[in-house]
Amino acid sequence: MLKLIGAALVLFAGTMIGFAQGARFAERPRQIRHLLHALQRLETEIGYGQTPLPEALQRVAQAIPKPLSALFAQVASALRSGTGVTVRECWERTFADGWPSTSMRGGEREALLRLGATLGGSGKEDQLKHVRLAMLQLQAEETAAREEQQKYEKLSRSLGVLGAALVVILML
Amino acid sequence: MLHALFELMPLPVRTLLAGLPESVKGELEEIRIREMRPLEIGYGGRFAFIRPDGTAGGDYRSGYKPTREDCRALLESLTDHSLYAVEEELRRGYVTVAGGHRIGLAGRTVLEGGSVRHLRDITGFNVRIARARTGCSSKLLPMLLDRSARTVRHTLILSPPQQGKTTLLRDLARAVSSGDWNDPIARSWGGRKVGIVDERSEIAACERGVPTFDLGPRCDVLDACPKAEGLMMLVRSMSPEVVVADEIGRPEDAEALREALHAGVRVIATAHASDLADVFKRPALAALADEGMFGAYVLLSRSGGRVEHSVFNSAEAEEAMRRRHGMRPWAAPRDAPRDTPREAPAAVPPAAGRAPGASPELAARARPMPPIRSPNPPLSSLPNPLDSGGGGHA
Repeated sequence: MLKLIGAALVLFAGTMIGFAQGARFAERPRQIRHLLHALQRLETEIGYGQTPLPEALQRVAQAIPKPLSALFAQVASALRSGTGVTVRECWERTFADGWPSTSMRGGEREALLRLGATLGGSGKEDQLKHVRLAMLQLQAEETAAREEQQKYEKLSRSLGVLGAALVVILML
Repeated sequence: MLHALFELMPLPVRTLLAGLPESVKGELEEIRIREMRPLEIGYGGRFAFIRPDGTAGGDYRSGYKPTREDCRALLESLTDHSLYAVEEELRRGYVTVAGGHRIGLAGRTVLEGGSVRHLRDITGFNVRIARARTGCSSKLLPMLLDRSARTVRHTLILSPPQQGKTTLLRDLARAVSSGDWNDPIARSWGGRKVGIVDERSEIAACERGVPTFDLGPRCDVLDACPKAEGLMMLVRSMSPEVVVADEIGRPEDAEALREALHAGVRVIATAHASDLADVFKRPALAALADEGMFGAYVLLSRSGGRVEHSVFNSAEAEEAMRRRHGMRPWAAPRDAPRDTPREAPAAVPPAAGRAPGASPELAARARPMPPIRSPNPPLSSLPNPLDSGGGGHA
């Protein structure tokens, strides 16, 4: 009896691990998409509205869903706090600290940090170029992420179930 | 008020400035921040360098030197972290921050087709502190009144930089729009509708369109608008009785002023000049002054902490000009015939009485005119014979 309960628990845990891993694969392209939307929004704010950066970031934060919006809002409020931080510093700090809460990887992070180093520091045309460059990089990452998702999402799910089953068989 | 300005400064500079004695802070006029060079302040007409321990002294060697990081942080906070939003201002070399403080910038210019497109490597900042001195125009205003038209005369305020032109202009606008004429005759006049073209956001220091300085109840402000366009927009849209503009200098400004002057609107403007003769040397202003557009010129000068102003009417201004041109024989005949009709609207006391007179009378009066116009004989003796000769022709 006890054995059976233990086997069920192992099976359940393995399945869950597999699903969580699969969800990570599915979540990554979606978050990159959100990031792309955010940058698109930023592009409009800079290009047409010429909105000051803190306000532009605040608006971006309102337009996208959770884990990312918090990061943008955090940068905006840090810039508004009047402590004399530069955009680069506070962008780097925020995104480095907050990155683990997202499902994204190193490539997107690089692109974002590079953008942060130039944000607000040059003329309109130049800013738009940098934003577009970052968007291009993100798009490349997004395609790669989608391919990975197709390959590994189901794989990791079934791997979870099967791995758990293997453990159960060995234990029995 | 200074507190908000200090908030913009990078932390090391902010601490130093905040530690200055209250007496210095009260008179603070300029803060000059230059990368790797001593931090300088201007106060009460003097200047001093701030030492790293927060005291001010005359010796520049011991001054605190702002670092590259300080300057970068300052530039970011001045522009609200958005250089892209202030490109136009950078091209002109200054930004204005909340409170109407203008910050002049110096760096390396980027040229395109020979004209300045952009400013980069900005390492020099001159923070000019804007102050409202309510009532600073009260002594001056009675001298600028046009009693027959019950309003102010067309006025040009002249001075070298940093003598308080904008401060005076701001208070004039306030006094005119609130009817604070400070003259027993004008007690019943009430305020006039005033339109301000505030190209540098210095006069009104608008925040979200609302002036933060007291400009009286009947004041409309066109914020951050180029003067030339703004003057016309105001005249067309807001029906002002008096328009106010800062720092006339470019030809298109003068052109717009001329339009406004002819549109029946009184104009109060300022310009950089050290004396009246300078006005006639600057092409855009000279054209206006030559036509006798301005009814009064106010010359500002500062001795110690006090601002002195002297008022000239257009006749005296032309006298100053003639002093320069008088030597040339060809200058007088060209000047002389135009003189006679030109002074009529100028509301100079002798001329004001003559203004409503019939035009044939003008020709008859042309001869005795010169002695009235030039009160000091030694100076006027030179152009006089030429003048009356010209008058005879007319």
